[in-house]
Amino acid sequence: MQRIRTSLSFFIIVFFILMLAAIPLALNTTSGKLMIDFHVVSRLINTYISGIGTGDTFIYQEGIDRSPNFLQTVGRHFSLSFVYLLVAGLAAVIIGMIVASWYSRSKKEWSKDIIGFLGLIPDFIFILFLQLGVVWVYQSTGFHIARVASRGADEHALLLPLITLIIVPTIYLIRTLSEATAYVLTEDYILTAKAKGFSVFYIFMQHAVRNILPYLKADLHKVIAIMMSNLFIVEYLFNISGLTSLLFTKDGYQYNLTVNTLLTMVIMYVLLYWSIRLFIVILERIFSYE
Amino acid sequence: MNNFRLLLGISLSSFIVLVAIFGPLFAPYDKDEVEPSGYYYNSADDFGVYAAPYPPSRQHPFGTDEWGYDILTLLLYGAKYTVFAGLVIAFFRVVLGSTLGVMAGLNRKNQRKDKGIGFGLLGSIPAFIIIYFALIGISINSSLKMSELIVLQVLLMIIVGFPGVYAAMQAKTIELNKRLFITASASLGASKLQIAVKHIFPHLKGTMLVMFLKEIVLSLSLLGQLGIFNLFLGGTILRLGGPPVYISVSREWTGLIGQWRAFIFDYQWILMFPMLSFLFVVFSFYMLLRGVELQQKSNLTKQPYI
Repeated sequence: MQRIRTSLSFFIIVFFILMLAAIPLALNTTSGKLMIDFHVVSRLINTYISGIGTGDTFIYQEGIDRSPNFLQTVGRHFSLSFVYLLVAGLAAVIIGMIVASWYSRSKKEWSKDIIGFLGLIPDFIFILFLQLGVVWVYQSTGFHIARVASRGADEHALLLPLITLIIVPTIYLIRTLSEATAYVLTEDYILTAKAKGFSVFYIFMQHAVRNILPYLKADLHKVIAIMMSNLFIVEYLFNISGLTSLLFTKDGYQYNLTVNTLLTMVIMYVLLYWSIRLFIVILERIFSYE
Repeated sequence: MNNFRLLLGISLSSFIVLVAIFGPLFAPYDKDEVEPSGYYYNSADDFGVYAAPYPPSRQHPFGTDEWGYDILTLLLYGAKYTVFAGLVIAFFRVVLGSTLGVMAGLNRKNQRKDKGIGFGLLGSIPAFIIIYFALIGISINSSLKMSELIVLQVLLMIIVGFPGVYAAMQAKTIELNKRLFITASASLGASKLQIAVKHIFPHLKGTMLVMFLKEIVLSLSLLGQLGIFNLFLGGTILRLGGPPVYISVSREWTGLIGQWRAFIFDYQWILMFPMLSFLFVVFSFYMLLRGVELQQKSNLTKQPYI
């Protein structure tokens, strides 16, 4: 049953992507009215599917006279995005759990104010303020903290994109995990452990952490969805030539390229999900003491 | 005064709504007034040119943009689009999401525990990408009117946003549905509609208000993400011939941020003031949100033992 549902939803997402990518070409407003041309949609999907066998589907246009094969170039873009996401995801889980266990016991409303407010600030505001801040420090002191954006093939901006990619999911995790932690701490086994005279740190390590991990697992989809949406903005504003940069080429809209890129995004999502799940499994082994 | 947040939130938010309604009346300049560039010559030693962008000054409190338009004026004219788009989108997301969510919740006994990876796959395509693809072909140099584009974009943003509210409301309804007073009233013969009106909605009122405030900020940040990719609420004017220039038709605030996002190296005030104004809106609604949350916080929650 589970397997049927998974494969069904996989087909749905593929179909959804095929439709979604066709919208920009199928919608037109030439007569001052909004119209959808379904012939265009079916023609695009047909050429895409029939081109898979011949390989035409994977050829796209770059600049004026280059037509690289998607299957050959995608690896570079994919690995760049994936490394950013994986580093940020693992850091967010670790920082989130540590901060949440401290934060869940804090009764200060102002710290909740700050975390909550940071959680509501959109990612692009973060990025623009970071960039403005770095430029401001440089212009007033001459000290160059970090690159404001990637330039060319080997001058990668690392610090600021990673900060943004880490901060946004971390704040989300702090909020949800601290609620979970506060709930776990009301359980009777915590009271028993406290009555036996164990230290707070010991109770956390032995009892709290392993009972918080299920909440983390349940929230993982949400966290990764936040990070994927974040990735688009980060790669665009920091000029990182990751996977999403293929969607916003300056060479006009290409249906096949867009579909291929979006499908690769889904693959990246799954890979990222299972990598972080693997990390949680390791944590579970460490904290199970069996 | 225990709940100063609520007070602060109410006063700041009503100030913002007032600015949105009456802003243009207080604008120091007309919407299309341009501070001219020129030159001056006082003596052989004292001459030069002056040209936009002008930094903040007595005449232009927020400075002018690169063409000489007064930034404060643009913000005052654009405020209504930002504020009312946020309010309208959030309102319909919550109304639509909670009505359908409660209905679905009443018809289901238990939540599905493990949703599996299949359900999560949709998360790999962010909401703003869906709207991006829908609008990229029609929003730039559009033949549609500004009002039509605004209605279209608001509708799209309601559609991509309400499933989140729906899921949360459904989960809450399923939990409430297990409570004894609901069982009692159902066994006394109350219909689903009666249970929804008499028992479920009164319990969810507070959650709906909190969600409404949260959705305002979420829809504003979605607007802003689209703005970063040059899709502004009400349409985009694209000027080619030279480096492409994207201009927001409506002067909506997140559109202005997107339009001027390149001003991080020089003339930073052009980017700074729209961002600070936007942050002020987020802060005001956030304070209101916190105030409402604290007001509702019940004393019945269990206290952690350590």
